[in-house]
Amino acid sequence: MTIRALLRFELATMARGRTLTAVAAGFALASLVVALAGLSAGGVVTVQGFARTSLSLLQLVVWTVPMLALLTGAVAGADTHDVEFLVALPVSRPRLLVARWLAHVVALGGALLAGLGVAGLLLAALAGTGDAARYLALVGVAALLLAATLALGLWIGVAARNRLRAVAGAALAWLLLVIGADLIAITLLAVLPAGQAGWGLSLLLLADPVDSARALGIALFQATTIAGPTEAALRRVLGGAGVWLLAAGLVAWTIAPLALAARRFARSDL
Amino acid sequence: MIALRGLTKRYGDRVALAPLDLDVRAGEVVALVGPNGAGKSTTLRILAGIIHPSGGSAEVGGRDAVRDGVAARRRVGYLSQKLGVPQATVLGDLADLVAAARGVATQMAEDALTATGLGDRLGATLAELSGGQRQRALLALATLGEVDTLLLDEPGISLDAEGAEDVRAAIRAARARGAAVLFASHDLYDVALLADRLVVLVDARVVARGTLAELAAAAGVRWNGEPVEPPVERIYRVLVERGRGPGVLRMVQGDAA
Repeated sequence: MTIRALLRFELATMARGRTLTAVAAGFALASLVVALAGLSAGGVVTVQGFARTSLSLLQLVVWTVPMLALLTGAVAGADTHDVEFLVALPVSRPRLLVARWLAHVVALGGALLAGLGVAGLLLAALAGTGDAARYLALVGVAALLLAATLALGLWIGVAARNRLRAVAGAALAWLLLVIGADLIAITLLAVLPAGQAGWGLSLLLLADPVDSARALGIALFQATTIAGPTEAALRRVLGGAGVWLLAAGLVAWTIAPLALAARRFARSDL
Repeated sequence: MIALRGLTKRYGDRVALAPLDLDVRAGEVVALVGPNGAGKSTTLRILAGIIHPSGGSAEVGGRDAVRDGVAARRRVGYLSQKLGVPQATVLGDLADLVAAARGVATQMAEDALTATGLGDRLGATLAELSGGQRQRALLALATLGEVDTLLLDEPGISLDAEGAEDVRAAIRAARARGAAVLFASHDLYDVALLADRLVVLVDARVVARGTLAELAAAAGVRWNGEPVEPPVERIYRVLVERGRGPGVLRMVQGDAA
């Protein structure tokens, strides 16, 4: 069976639920609030105001996308233990799992795009389309982060085997990725000598998909004026190939958990 | 068609299936009977690729059901005791998926559902169907295409008399086209009616196997070789048939009180 048939099946089931509409509406609302706040913070509607808003939206994305994706992925992963009829069809379990991941990426990515799209249109209308590439970079970073954290959530769900444990695991993972990594970074900065902290921070950036996405966003925005010393520090730490390294890290954060989830699912008894 | 050799399943120290040898030939119907936890479902679930055996081998249609599971399942129809599909699934979407998996046109799957009286429910979710309708739908989809091995785990569960007859008809049809049928059931009337051979499992191991006549002789029970429908089921069937006919069914005395 082709993965297309599985994808069509998964998408059809997802599309009939209300979750996607709620996600799209939520992102649109949140993005609009951030966009308007960003524009007004600039004092006047200028290109600089648009840049500031993109950075604010990036902050929204790196907090909310992992939460949504981890929870959704974990539930979807846990539910794979309740699909006996589908598993008994002539289709490999890894293929079933990849189709499920892909369907979630497409569906949630679409909802995210719709939400950010509304805010993007407003920004374009008020601030012009001069910095559209910067906004597209934001969407790209959001998509990479969504794919990675969905894969991670799916792995957590497959390993947890039931929804309750899966959701608890996903919530813990979100806390570790969003807050825990920052605490470790602060500790590293305090403990390590100034010259050696750079390497530790670089590794930490790659070890945490949320921080990778944040750094990638800032680097892609080339927001020297807005991000100021943060961007300068990032450039120093990551060097010239930093952007590619971060993007590759996010891809690895997608492939590795997905492979682990597929392996676990293939070996487990339903 | 089905060949099991020393098939075993353990969960830690607990033995769910002691080494089992069993062959089911093409065009043969074999019933697994026994109390709950005897290993009936475990056997079927290993063959369907739902759980992995701890030892032994399982072949379906000449293919290793464990190492070459996808190929082995190409011509296997399996009906589980559980629903096994998300409740929010729309019946038509499931028909589309099963058709793709079996390599047949979606229309064929929809026709199979229509034949079971579910043609007007293709847009309904499984949650919106009754338990019996769900079971009939899944049975119709499980037997779709060129299935030459049929694995049924309590197929008559939650079905009314007509649904139970549909299951019997599906098993008979599968046998007639040369499929190997292995089914587990607590409904001993169905077992007597349909099975060519019985395998009796108790506490995860086989305690007896053979035709019903052989088992009756082994158990020292005199029997004329004809399956007998339990009286209460016959009474119920007759009343339902009469109730569907013209006129009002005469109520028995005292019922109006």
